[in-house]
Amino acid sequence: MIGWEYPPFKTGGLAVHCYELTHALAAKGVKVDFYMPITDSGVSVSDRNIKIIQVAHAKFGAYVTRQAYGPEFFSDVHAFNNTAAERIAQHDKKERYDLIHHHDWMTALAAMKAKYLIDRPMVSTFHSIEFDRSGMWPNEYILSIEKQMAATADRIITVSKYMKGRLVEKLGADERKIRVVYNAIDAGDFKKHWDVSHGKERIVLFLGRLTEQKGPTQFLNAAKRVLEKERNVRFVMAGTGDMLGYLINLAIALGIGEKVTFIGYLPDEQKRYVYAKSDIYVMPSVSEPFGITALEAMASGTPVLVSKTSGAAEVTPHKLVIDFWDVNGMAEKMVALLRYKTLSETLGKEELRDALNLTWDKIADDTLRVYEEIARG
Amino acid sequence: MPSICIYFQVHQPVRLRRFSLYDDHQPENLYERYFDLKLNKDVFNKVADKCYIPATSLLLELIRKYGDKFKISYSLTGTFLEQAAQYRPEVLDLFHDLAATGSVDFLNETYYHSLSSLFEDKTEFLEQVRKHSEELKERFGVEADVFRNTEALFSNDIARLAEEFGYKGIIAEGHERVLGWRSPNYVYSVKGCKKIKALLRNYKLSDDVSYRFSAQWWSEFPLTAEKYAKWLAESQGQCINLFMDYETFGEHQWKETGIFDFLKHFPEEAFKHEQLKFRTPDDVIAENEAVGEIDVPYALSWADIERDASAWLGNSMQRECFSLLQSLEGPVRETRDDDILHIWRLLQNSDHLYYLCTKSWADGDVHKYFSPFPSPYDGFINLMNILQDFKKQVERA
Repeated sequence: MIGWEYPPFKTGGLAVHCYELTHALAAKGVKVDFYMPITDSGVSVSDRNIKIIQVAHAKFGAYVTRQAYGPEFFSDVHAFNNTAAERIAQHDKKERYDLIHHHDWMTALAAMKAKYLIDRPMVSTFHSIEFDRSGMWPNEYILSIEKQMAATADRIITVSKYMKGRLVEKLGADERKIRVVYNAIDAGDFKKHWDVSHGKERIVLFLGRLTEQKGPTQFLNAAKRVLEKERNVRFVMAGTGDMLGYLINLAIALGIGEKVTFIGYLPDEQKRYVYAKSDIYVMPSVSEPFGITALEAMASGTPVLVSKTSGAAEVTPHKLVIDFWDVNGMAEKMVALLRYKTLSETLGKEELRDALNLTWDKIADDTLRVYEEIARG
Repeated sequence: MPSICIYFQVHQPVRLRRFSLYDDHQPENLYERYFDLKLNKDVFNKVADKCYIPATSLLLELIRKYGDKFKISYSLTGTFLEQAAQYRPEVLDLFHDLAATGSVDFLNETYYHSLSSLFEDKTEFLEQVRKHSEELKERFGVEADVFRNTEALFSNDIARLAEEFGYKGIIAEGHERVLGWRSPNYVYSVKGCKKIKALLRNYKLSDDVSYRFSAQWWSEFPLTAEKYAKWLAESQGQCINLFMDYETFGEHQWKETGIFDFLKHFPEEAFKHEQLKFRTPDDVIAENEAVGEIDVPYALSWADIERDASAWLGNSMQRECFSLLQSLEGPVRETRDDDILHIWRLLQNSDHLYYLCTKSWADGDVHKYFSPFPSPYDGFINLMNILQDFKKQVERA
């Protein structure tokens, strides 16, 4: 398996995903050699079935700010990919690999080269695509790598059906070789909504990067409409991003400044507390390949409102979905969740149950099924 | 030597409108405010073309052909009759013609297809049954001896009420939970009642047509009229009660499945077996004595795997809406406003609660099939917003 990051080195959810997936696979007897760049923080794993092989230095995480996409960045990516592919070919002579599985575009060149060198099947997981990360202005070079990756892979794993559709539409991927394997979390670790104390004021939470892709503007516009009907509500925006200043000003311009609280980036511990403390979690993303935060809120028993254009909307039938552009529709559902206790309680409990069912063990089973499918030819 | 007793349920709910809190131009007229006139009209027209008109025309033809040898019966809800009069009067003409043949029986039920039988105070239940009975008398000049409660909801108490209302027979689901080893093909008395006779649906043979007719996974697929008549002829008992939704013909089972051909040839195939006779529910209770007693302390219905009231009152959202509806009875009656009373009753239609069902069995699919909402949660929000608004209107009146 080829990845860009592995705990403790991480800049995004990819590290966690790779860590959990390799361990769940290892527990099922799959031997995983995990190729990744050399990092300062060092990586150690105690599972006998997992070997971390670090090749070439990289100064960047997988999802750095777009300004970092300079010549140095791409040369780091190339250096890693080339070296990784050669090391895979060398290693294969001693101990034969059954297949190559890699994550996202940053490791695609290594996977494709290794596939060419040792002629083994290639599985590509798309956690997101350039269109979702960049909005209107995709980096053409990354886009071209993603297209090659989609064309070369023997099987593609996407984290949602929604994402599968995007791959077909945006990258011209062959629908027949795409399989959907959702993301998971350790749902049991989350604080529960009913276990924390709640003040008089109800809380509606937004949590994510403050960029247009995540829909923070619509969230504030909907907040204004909610406050026309229900006064006893506080809207909490967690996360930072380019739009922070703009959003603070927008809240003031809408006349709801005193009802909106910006709390910045939250470390895991606090994040879990905030999910449980909230009465509603809203994810109004314009386009969200999966949306792990929605799953985290579900794991807290907090009812979620998620946009239809997100993968998280698929993991439970017990949900209220929203159109990211429909401010009134969003507000209406928030009001209903605030007013009707039976609704929020039923949703919270049903969603928790579905979140608990989505375990890494299940994700590993689904992934193994994709491997076996290839092995059968 | 059982007779064949067929009854078709004909119902159309008056569906709710998407009621938005942020719509500043809500109609003042409560009917337009809460109900989706266009949707109801479209659905009614669609079902009229696919089912009501072709199926009723065909059955009329068959009855004219076979005289009083071929008999069937119907239960037509008030909300169906009202919408038929509003959107497609020719549908009513067909039923009128059927009534005139004398080979067709009509059953009574609550006019509004409601769960008023489960209200603590039974006044509303009685009034809705009376209203339905008057409607049938007025439209078709018929009087019913047999009662069918909404969705065949049945219990000892409901049967006792029906008996008090003057009915001689009542429809119920012929489920093992109630019958044990006994056959549904007999007439039964009901615990705690004096004389009322229960007619129990043979759900297996009924569902063979209404549910499995076009099911390719079914080992008996395709079902022919000949094969079906043979099964009936081989059955034991007093009467085989085939009760099903009328929309089976042309709507749930599309015309392309051959369901109309099946219906067309069914009487002729049945007559090939000398012992098979067609009887209406009235005939069955007049001709047969009860062979045993059934005891149903808790609600039994014909819906879902559970065959209880859980399709409408199974989760807390449904129960909350139901108890709010029930609590409005006093305030609604105090207004002495017939329009408000009518609206309150239309809101009692059990379908509105059915759409809020969250049971995750295979039944969930059936609920989804019928529901105009993307999820039960959206259904709840809409119904609850409407009930809250209606409550305000009642308080204002």
